[in-house]
Amino acid sequence: MCDSVDQSEHPAPRQARSQRVPGMCIKCKTAKPNVSIRLSLYCKPCFVKAEIFKFRTALNKSRQKANQHGTKLMAAVSGGPTSMAMLKLILDFHNVGRQGKTASTAFASVTVGHVDESALFPGCEDGVQRILQAEDVEVVTARLEDVFDSEEGLELVEKTVTPGAVRDKFVAQIVRQNPGVSPRERLKQLFSGLSTATNREDMLDSIKTFLIKKLAQSCGCRTLLLGDSGTRMATKVVTYTSRGRGYSLPFEVLAESQWGDIAVLRPMREWIAKEVAFFNRWTAQPSAVVPTFTTGAPAKASIDRLTESFIVALDRDFPSTVATICRTVTKLQPQDDAADAVHCLVCGMPAEAGAQTWRNRLTVSDVSSTESEGPVAAGAKPEPEPETKLAAGGIDITQRLCYSCQNLLHDAKPGTVLPEFSTHRYQTSDAADLRKQIEEFLI
Amino acid sequence: MPRVCEICQGAKAILRRPKTGQSICKECFFRVFETEVHNTIVDNKLFRRGDRVGIGASGGKDSTVLAYVMKTLNERYDYGLDLFLLSVDEGISGYRDDSLETVKRNKEQYELPLLIVSYEQLYGWSMDAIVETVGRKNNCTFCGVFRRQALDRGALMLDLDHIVTGHNADDVAETILMNIFRGDIPRLGRCTEIATSGDGYITRSKPFKYAYEKEIVMYAYFRKLDYFSTECTYSPNAYRGYAREFLKDLEAVRPSAILDIIHSGEAMQVASEVKLPSQTSCERCGYISSNRVCKACVLLEGLERGVPQLGIGKSVKKTQDLLAGRTATRSGRAVDVVHFDKLRKHAQEMRHERCTGCTCDTSAPGT
Ligand SMILES: [Zn+2]
Ligand SMILES: [Zn+2]
Ligand SMILES: [Zn+2]
Ligand SMILES: [Zn+2]
Repeated sequence: MCDSVDQSEHPAPRQARSQRVPGMCIKCKTAKPNVSIRLSLYCKPCFVKAEIFKFRTALNKSRQKANQHGTKLMAAVSGGPTSMAMLKLILDFHNVGRQGKTASTAFASVTVGHVDESALFPGCEDGVQRILQAEDVEVVTARLEDVFDSEEGLELVEKTVTPGAVRDKFVAQIVRQNPGVSPRERLKQLFSGLSTATNREDMLDSIKTFLIKKLAQSCGCRTLLLGDSGTRMATKVVTYTSRGRGYSLPFEVLAESQWGDIAVLRPMREWIAKEVAFFNRWTAQPSAVVPTFTTGAPAKASIDRLTESFIVALDRDFPSTVATICRTVTKLQPQDDAADAVHCLVCGMPAEAGAQTWRNRLTVSDVSSTESEGPVAAGAKPEPEPETKLAAGGIDITQRLCYSCQNLLHDAKPGTVLPEFSTHRYQTSDAADLRKQIEEFLI
Repeated sequence: MPRVCEICQGAKAILRRPKTGQSICKECFFRVFETEVHNTIVDNKLFRRGDRVGIGASGGKDSTVLAYVMKTLNERYDYGLDLFLLSVDEGISGYRDDSLETVKRNKEQYELPLLIVSYEQLYGWSMDAIVETVGRKNNCTFCGVFRRQALDRGALMLDLDHIVTGHNADDVAETILMNIFRGDIPRLGRCTEIATSGDGYITRSKPFKYAYEKEIVMYAYFRKLDYFSTECTYSPNAYRGYAREFLKDLEAVRPSAILDIIHSGEAMQVASEVKLPSQTSCERCGYISSNRVCKACVLLEGLERGVPQLGIGKSVKKTQDLLAGRTATRSGRAVDVVHFDKLRKHAQEMRHERCTGCTCDTSAPGT
């Protein structure tokens, strides 16, 4: 459709920015340039200097906002290029700070937090460990399967659209895990029960977020650095939007966010992938290839994979795209009710009320009852979620899932057992609910 | 073995529903499609009984299906609406003249009154003439600005309370993505609204906000509806093209993605410091505007003076200030652009006439 007036203001396509000395490095203006970043030319030393400066500026800005000074710091490192560049930069920053002049800018300590994903991606861990051991820093590691290291689990017993049913329903029960099955095996079962690469990515995100937060907590680190480049953050914004995570987006992809009492900072947010590659090459910083569910697969293998290749291409034609998308998300505000919202059993993010009803009104599967609805003027409201009668031990968890995780579990096989944090979240939120009900009677 | 419809469990399934992936029969498809539009109308309280509702009809699939479904639901659920077809003739030969023939047939088929307003008649310039002057680069700006006004003018001529347009879920999702890509925060906040009265005159809404484009095509096909299926000859917008292609790919990866993006967009709350400009009315034509002279009048001035780039891009604000307080330039081509006050007065008179002896509120919309 060409009928919207909107179209007058799309971004201008690439234009060459004027260089002060044609054909020379934009900084020193004397050396021949070695790289072009966002249409500016740099020589090798000037590029490295500029990137270090950019990192420190971003970090200091974030620390100021998050009011984090002198705390213990954890850098989340996967071993991939961006997180390794970040590690080099933060260690350098920390050591310079410790050595004197700028002592006030240093952290109490720097620890690397790493999640070992070898349960899902066999063989990927050796290279990462080798690289990390070469760094002069303490490394703490959690394994993905740690989230199945408990006796109880929340098992999905039913999820539908039953044909003709009015609405989807997600029913689970708390089960004892078979002690004969290792945590690693349970993790693999979970992922093989999620039918698509998009769903697996989604679940992996939730697990890694949980683990890295737990690592930071157990080490007493109040500041956590995540190595998301600008390209990665822009991809996340669009991926999360496409997965229906708009409600929690303002909590998930920001320069600074707060996970409980941990300040989460993303100091690599202004870097694009190309800058990372050149920085690592010219500072001899090794990194590993971190595999994903879609490594080597075509673009349409998953939402994340598709979005990434789209963003990279768009940023090539309109070089401000990544920065613009990252800025967009900073202008979003959490909904007023988000502070009191229940936390999703799977992703731990605030889950909006009525998500299920919304979907059901717009994906009707029942044609029998539509006749009886009154005329427009009555303004019939969507019906409230009905009380569901459940088999003994069954728990209706629909209201405890965010819209996006309902999508995720919609395709999951019955019998899928969720990670232990789901059980934990279920039990604690249940206790909180009970407390709320009796609160006025407590002295 | 043929599959049985997943909904009624009786008839043979003949299609896979794009939105949900369910295999269902034709009758169930009609039913769920219509019911979802009905739910959209009811849940958002789009209409009041007795409303005069114009269906923005282009002859294309979206608006043709919209006309059919609006008529069907109005009867089935007794909305009590007076429905009209309202078409804009941009004056694009080989595109609009053919599609208008379709609209005229729809008028007979659906027994709905039809009003066609043309750029030529309203402004003295057809799109063909505009393209001849400005070339093909910025013509969509002209078309968009003029159409918005033309629909409002037509609505006042018919004394409508409401205009519905055929914008579908794909359009809405695509607009959300585009506003994220280019960082248009105010529009990101507004683009998920199902109904707007921002133009001050007539409420506009999108009953197909949650209807997938593929399902609209499917509906038209199985209902054998008569529509015109050529793209505007002057159209495509490169940047929107990117977003559209990406959305199609997303839909292929996960069919619910279109609905999911709209769900995300609706949950996004824009920081309150982002303010929209305050609105006043154009001193030349009376149309709502954030400046003393509205965009349409600036574009028209450019055309009349032979400097069509006048109202394009960044220069538009400056030009609007420059033109304030001056009278319009008129070439031989010019027609008298009717002032909105006059249209409004006329609408009010019509309402009085209709309502002689009845006790309803006779104030015309937008007054
Ligand atoms: Zn230099
Ligand atoms: Zn969730
Ligand atoms: Zn059926
Ligand atoms: Zn005007």
